[in-house]
Amino acid sequence: MELSLHHRTEGDHTVLDVGGEVDVYTAPKLRERLVELVGEGHYNLVVDMTKVEFLDSTGLGVLVGGLKRVRAHEGTLALVCNQERILKIFRITGLTKVFPIHDSLEEALQGQS
Amino acid sequence: MDSVELHVPPDVAYVGLTRLIVTRAARQAGMDEVRVEDLKIAVSEATTQAILDRERRGGAEPIALTFGASGGRFEVTVHGAGEHVGVASTPIAGDWPDDGSLGVTVIEGLTDEVQLVRRDGDRVDMKVSVRLDANGGRSADR
Repeated sequence: MELSLHHRTEGDHTVLDVGGEVDVYTAPKLRERLVELVGEGHYNLVVDMTKVEFLDSTGLGVLVGGLKRVRAHEGTLALVCNQERILKIFRITGLTKVFPIHDSLEEALQGQS
Repeated sequence: MDSVELHVPPDVAYVGLTRLIVTRAARQAGMDEVRVEDLKIAVSEATTQAILDRERRGGAEPIALTFGASGGRFEVTVHGAGEHVGVASTPIAGDWPDDGSLGVTVIEGLTDEVQLVRRDGDRVDMKVSVRLDANGGRSADR
């Protein structure tokens, strides 16, 4: 049930690696990190969710909030996700039309360039 | 499978525990893994709504869930899911509804049936039902 967050720079982008479960209990930590990153001037984000084991609508809400924040600075937020159980919830909520979602980090970084 | 009743404190720290316990019971009842993952999210959404509703109302009573397999389906009822629980508008593309309604959209998208039963006063019980396997009809009642 732990949430792990690590960020690093890849060229012009900041990659945030998210691992573990994102729910109402852990989502505030993710929100806080996204707020921090944007506050520090990281406006082109790639959230790598390949190690996310669980995500519900609370987590989706945090990602939407992050997207709004970067967009306020004309930035971008893309996702890396290749797990059907996570992708399903993006489809149900229509968020596949909102977020660029990539199968791999390489694809996400190329797509955002 | 007998029905199980679980009571957890109205604290978001316990949402993960309800997922763990309910999905363990679903697997034990013979649910296939794809459906277990769907149920996991549905239980998380419903429990979250109930806890947040308690917080809004300043209530301290535990969240009660009953669950079990019957007739080829696994059913979970979250008692007192919240007076504001309801059906969301169409999926969003920009505005994010913060009233919990999107959780219901997710639950409806992942389960086979959702029933909202209004009880005494403003109490609403949410009952979700998931077939034990994707092909349907297999009963794992014991």
